[in-house]
Amino acid sequence: MSLAIQIEQISKTFGSLKAVDDVSLELQQGSLCGFLGPNGAGKSTTIRMIMSIISPDRGVLRVLGGSALDNKDRIGYLPEERGLYRKMRVGEFLAYIARLKGVHPTGLQQRIHDWLERVQLPGVAKKRCEELSKGMQQKVQLLSALVHRPDLLILDEPYSGLDPLNSRLITELIRDEQRRGATIIFSTHQMHTAEALCDRVLLINKGKKVLDADLSQLRAQHDGRGIIVEPSGDPTAYANAALAAGFAARAASTQKGLVEIELREGIGGNDALTAALAAGACRSVSLRRLSLEDVFVQLVGGSVAALQSEGGSADV
Amino acid sequence: MSDANRSSTHAYKRSWWSRTGTISWREFKHTALTKAFFFGAIVVPLLFLGVSFLIPFMIDKEAPPITGTVAVIDPTGKIAQAARFIIETEGDPGLFGELPPEAKAQIKDAAGAQSPGAGAMMEAVDTRSEIDLQWRVFAQEGIDGAPTIDALKAEVQSGELVALVLLTAAGADAKATEASESGLSMFVPSSSSPKHQRLIGRAFENALQDARVQSLGIADEDFDRVRQRPQSETFRISPNGGEEEETREARMLIPAGFMFLMWICVFTSANQLLTSTIEEKSNKVMEVLLAAASPMQLLAGKILGQALVSVIMLLMYGSAAIAGLTAASLGDLITASDLVLFVLYFIMAYFMIATLMVAVGSAVSDLREAQSLVGPVMILLIIPIMLWLPISESPNGMLATITSFIPPGMPFIMILRVTAANEPVPLWQIIASLIWGYGAMFGMLWLGARIFRVGVLMQGKPPTPKELVKWAFVR
Repeated sequence: MSLAIQIEQISKTFGSLKAVDDVSLELQQGSLCGFLGPNGAGKSTTIRMIMSIISPDRGVLRVLGGSALDNKDRIGYLPEERGLYRKMRVGEFLAYIARLKGVHPTGLQQRIHDWLERVQLPGVAKKRCEELSKGMQQKVQLLSALVHRPDLLILDEPYSGLDPLNSRLITELIRDEQRRGATIIFSTHQMHTAEALCDRVLLINKGKKVLDADLSQLRAQHDGRGIIVEPSGDPTAYANAALAAGFAARAASTQKGLVEIELREGIGGNDALTAALAAGACRSVSLRRLSLEDVFVQLVGGSVAALQSEGGSADV
Repeated sequence: MSDANRSSTHAYKRSWWSRTGTISWREFKHTALTKAFFFGAIVVPLLFLGVSFLIPFMIDKEAPPITGTVAVIDPTGKIAQAARFIIETEGDPGLFGELPPEAKAQIKDAAGAQSPGAGAMMEAVDTRSEIDLQWRVFAQEGIDGAPTIDALKAEVQSGELVALVLLTAAGADAKATEASESGLSMFVPSSSSPKHQRLIGRAFENALQDARVQSLGIADEDFDRVRQRPQSETFRISPNGGEEEETREARMLIPAGFMFLMWICVFTSANQLLTSTIEEKSNKVMEVLLAAASPMQLLAGKILGQALVSVIMLLMYGSAAIAGLTAASLGDLITASDLVLFVLYFIMAYFMIATLMVAVGSAVSDLREAQSLVGPVMILLIIPIMLWLPISESPNGMLATITSFIPPGMPFIMILRVTAANEPVPLWQIIASLIWGYGAMFGMLWLGARIFRVGVLMQGKPPTPKELVKWAFVR
């Protein structure tokens, strides 16, 4: 399968600030990639360079097999800061963006009508953008990125400001687009959404890429390295017993009466469960699954080296 | 949603100009095809013209009637009576000589009649509704029961008198008084209307003037003939041999008309460019547009769209002006070469000012910030308006020649020069101004485009002039 995005060591500096520092990325066509990072990490700058809105100071960037400028019509983009012409009518705005993106006028109105129906905004085509609620405006903005059926969809914080129902609707739209064959890259702060949706995660911090991995690969690397026990007796006593038994590298009781145990090197999941039951009476024992949020906090919090020592694919 | 709509790829690839055209059309449509433009560009000027036409009528009708008492100290015994007659027969008197002969005859009778005795008072009631004056005429103050001047002044102050007029005996004798001496003083209350002051004052001035003429033994008719200054009749011979009566005022106004027409059409569109660019930036729609078009396409689209608005205004106002001139038999004052040069300088002016405005709009976040950057540009552009009179009178003077080569005001001054008919501008200057002007225009377009490219993505505080220069040369 060919590459949708190929970035080789791009950098961008604004004054004394290095916004993006030597970032590389290869994204297969048809993949769905979560682009994560704290505020000011360099996500939007990287996205703007992919969109060719700004040029990198150095490095090579290929989008859909060529220059991003030449392929603008094949890219859909939802910027972080939402923007609509306040006085323009919704249908007119979508038609304008679609025409700029190379959509032929024939059948355009029907296409806009269909899309508005799809996002549960029937009958708003004649309304002015300023008459819509914030959530409705956000959906119109998303449609402006989708209306020309792009091969590459770049969404910067698509869930920002949406209620749970509209968030679910956006998730369905994103999945539909992936099924259609579009490559999707989206940035978000909602880790659970990224975890549920993505098959690839890219984490960037202070302009540098700190993680680039398939989600399944990430789980395989981190899952099973810990267990959670609900002891029948005193959690502190159980934690001490687990440390004494030798299978736990660290054990700590939580406020909910649970004991979180980090396994020693070389102890497998099944061995750990047997040892946990032997250490004391338990109501439940389960393998701890590392969430994306844990990875995010660990990497952005400065524990990159710890992750590397565990054999992860962290790329500093 | 139908499968056809969901799965097809792009129907066609758009060219650079096609995309630019889409942007231009939106810019044009959302400026010119709106109610605001219709009212601003058509209804408001028509209303302005209508009101300008009606104001003189409204002013005349709204003038308050003059009522009350006028007191006069008239040692001659004839000036007050003549002035009263002028007011009652003419209302707003012109020169005495303009009165009909029968009116003059009555004034002569009045002036020649035995003057009322000291302290005697004439009573009269005016028959005209706008003028209802009572008259108190005294030969001298404080004699035979006549009030003193101070007492009369007190009556003026209290509003009992609408005017107190003091005349001297020598004032009516041209030989006994210097020409600069008026021999006439008038006192009015502080609430007095200027129109009423003029009415009474002019009547006495004319009566006094007539008395002086009589004192010299000159017949009224002879005096009137002397006063009539002969006026030259000028005829303009047009290129096709026809003769039209020359109007010097129109001659002066035509170059100004050309310049103001250019100024208004260019600035209306350039100002729209400034506000629409700021709006797109503050609404954050700019990034959406830049994801669909390059900054150069966006810039070109916006400038060309507003150029169309400007051209429409030009055609609208320009054709109305030409129709007006033709109706006034002044059509031959505008030559084909004037029109060709106007078009060339208009293009130059539009692209210069539009580029400046769009660059400023891209560099700031709101209109308030724009004011500080637009201010210096506006000062440069007001110069042609300030200088239009001296340049029209001397289109080849040093001031005109130098300022007509300084952008961005140069196209306005050049059109002023070439349409001022009193002396033709040397051909080499016209050619040089076109070459230099278009060179400067392309330079400004290049600079504006570079600033626009960086500015549209910038947020926060507005840039300093030094930063703007840096933007122009950033990679």
